[in-house]
Amino acid sequence: MSEQSLVSDGPILGKEDPVLRAEGLEKRFGGLVATDDASIEVERGTITGLIGPNGAGKSTLFNLVSGFYEPDAGSVAVNGVDVTGKKPHQIADQGMIRTFQTPRKPEGMTVREALLVGPHNQTGESIIPLFTSPDTVEQEERRSLEQAQQMLERFEIGDLATQPATDLSGGQMKLVELARGMMAEPDLLLLDEPVAGVNPVLADKLAGFIEELNEEGITFLIIEHDMNFIMRLADPIIVLNQGSVLVEGPPEAVRSDERVIDAYLGGPSE
Amino acid sequence: MSTLDVGGYSPREKGVAGLLGALAALLLLAVITGFLAPAYLLYLVGLSAMYMLLSMGLNVQWGYGGMINFSVAAFFGLGAYGTALLTASGSPISGGVSPIVALFGGLGLAAVLAVIIGYPTLKLRDDYLAIASLGLAEVVRIFILNESQWTAGSAGLTGIPLFFSDWPVLGDLTYPYVFNVGGTSLFYMSQSVVTSALNVVLVTVIVAAVYLFLRRIHQSPWGRVLRTIRTDEDLAETLGKNTFAFKMQAFVIGSLIMALAGVFYSHLVLFVSPQDLQPITTFYVWVAVILGGTGSDRGAMLGGFTIVAIQQGTRFMTDTGALPIGAAPLRLMLVGLLIIFIVRLRPEGILPPERELIWPDSLGGGRNE
Repeated sequence: MSEQSLVSDGPILGKEDPVLRAEGLEKRFGGLVATDDASIEVERGTITGLIGPNGAGKSTLFNLVSGFYEPDAGSVAVNGVDVTGKKPHQIADQGMIRTFQTPRKPEGMTVREALLVGPHNQTGESIIPLFTSPDTVEQEERRSLEQAQQMLERFEIGDLATQPATDLSGGQMKLVELARGMMAEPDLLLLDEPVAGVNPVLADKLAGFIEELNEEGITFLIIEHDMNFIMRLADPIIVLNQGSVLVEGPPEAVRSDERVIDAYLGGPSE
Repeated sequence: MSTLDVGGYSPREKGVAGLLGALAALLLLAVITGFLAPAYLLYLVGLSAMYMLLSMGLNVQWGYGGMINFSVAAFFGLGAYGTALLTASGSPISGGVSPIVALFGGLGLAAVLAVIIGYPTLKLRDDYLAIASLGLAEVVRIFILNESQWTAGSAGLTGIPLFFSDWPVLGDLTYPYVFNVGGTSLFYMSQSVVTSALNVVLVTVIVAAVYLFLRRIHQSPWGRVLRTIRTDEDLAETLGKNTFAFKMQAFVIGSLIMALAGVFYSHLVLFVSPQDLQPITTFYVWVAVILGGTGSDRGAMLGGFTIVAIQQGTRFMTDTGALPIGAAPLRLMLVGLLIIFIVRLRPEGILPPERELIWPDSLGGGRNE
């Protein structure tokens, strides 16, 4: 890309191989327009950042693409499959896994067990095979256990394995969420503020893990308020303002873009 | 609690086992000294087992999946009426059907109703199921009370046969039944003792089968998903789990177990009436589950047993004139006190799940069962 066209006005669309494509998403809550004709594309293999001032509609956009909200208009496609209006679990099945802003912690489970919920379509999740083909269930479970162990070690939380999943610090919880997401073998991980309330050391570690996973082929779409974190990791960065995409471009260019600065400072955004 | 206890029995488990052992010894002593009729003791065992079934059924719904079902009595009643209407000589519909076949009639009714009530409400948040099921319980009871051309109404259904009545050997016993070994008769048993004993055998088999079935599904990936749903349905959804389907399965399974309790009840008491569907049954079962330890199958069984102990114990105490007040108020007072004690002292119940649910290998302790 040439120097002049670094920051695009509005979203960059028509990417080669988008994992996620959202077009013209609109969501109203009564009179409040949360997202207004928002379109984004997340190119395969990237770490795409999603930033914007409070109330810009970032979380609403996440909820729309992951199926928690039904859009009033627009469409969502994951891996080329239209998933508009589908249930969250159906969208997850297409290879897109999301995390939440406040980590969700299953009660009465150990961390290792919490990871075991991750894999999709386990045979043992249906009742009849539990009795008709216990061997298959057993084998799968062993495989999942092994995989969980690898994840725990990879994210350096092996010592938490038998800890109740509710007894973790904020940062540990984020790592567990990431590990659990990875257990589902996603193509695209949506992370909603992965380092909010996480100490800087752990945040650094988390960034390292995300980069590593990205090199292995996982695509990321990350909402984050911590500018250092997101500027270091993500390229491109999409800036959301007042429910639609303001600009999109590489981090350095976005950081110094006047429209972005205005939006954050509450100045004129048009 | 920072780590989960692995291996061995906790002091709590030992304490409960000790108490139950002492109580069993006491009851046995009461029978030997002639204080308690053997047939009555066996009837009590059957009744306890029935409450255990009800509690386990509710535990599948509330303990596993966090679904609030206030129509325990209705599912129980459908099981009881389902089998009674098919088998009883006094049935206005058909009667005379073999109890084995009728069993499936009762279960079928409960399953159909569970799906009908579950379909619209399980997609919504928990409270809607609670409200809908509260209404449903009364609808079922009042329907049975009023549609007497089908259900015999408030008169109830009489002439229900014993579960074993048409079985090859067990159905043809003559009474008093004499035990013969090598031509010498050892002792004989009255009809009430034999039928009560058979009922106990039957219900023991049912309870054991249900318990093993539940343990299997509860410790499985299926149970894990339900536990995830219980704390956070959205989380389960984002991990690709069809939460509606899981909740529906748990709801139907729980309702079937309740209906099973109803079927057994019909063949135990041999009489059913709309009285048996009073909402109080539902709340006794709720107390049992919470008392025992929400989420634990063993806890549910212990809770069910405790409820019967209170119900029958109070009757016994007032019968012997040991107390100046009637059984019914005393019972309610004891249940109330019990709830207060639980909430104050042990909010998680007597036998909370702890490691019971956890697939042993996932603890990494290498403890295989």
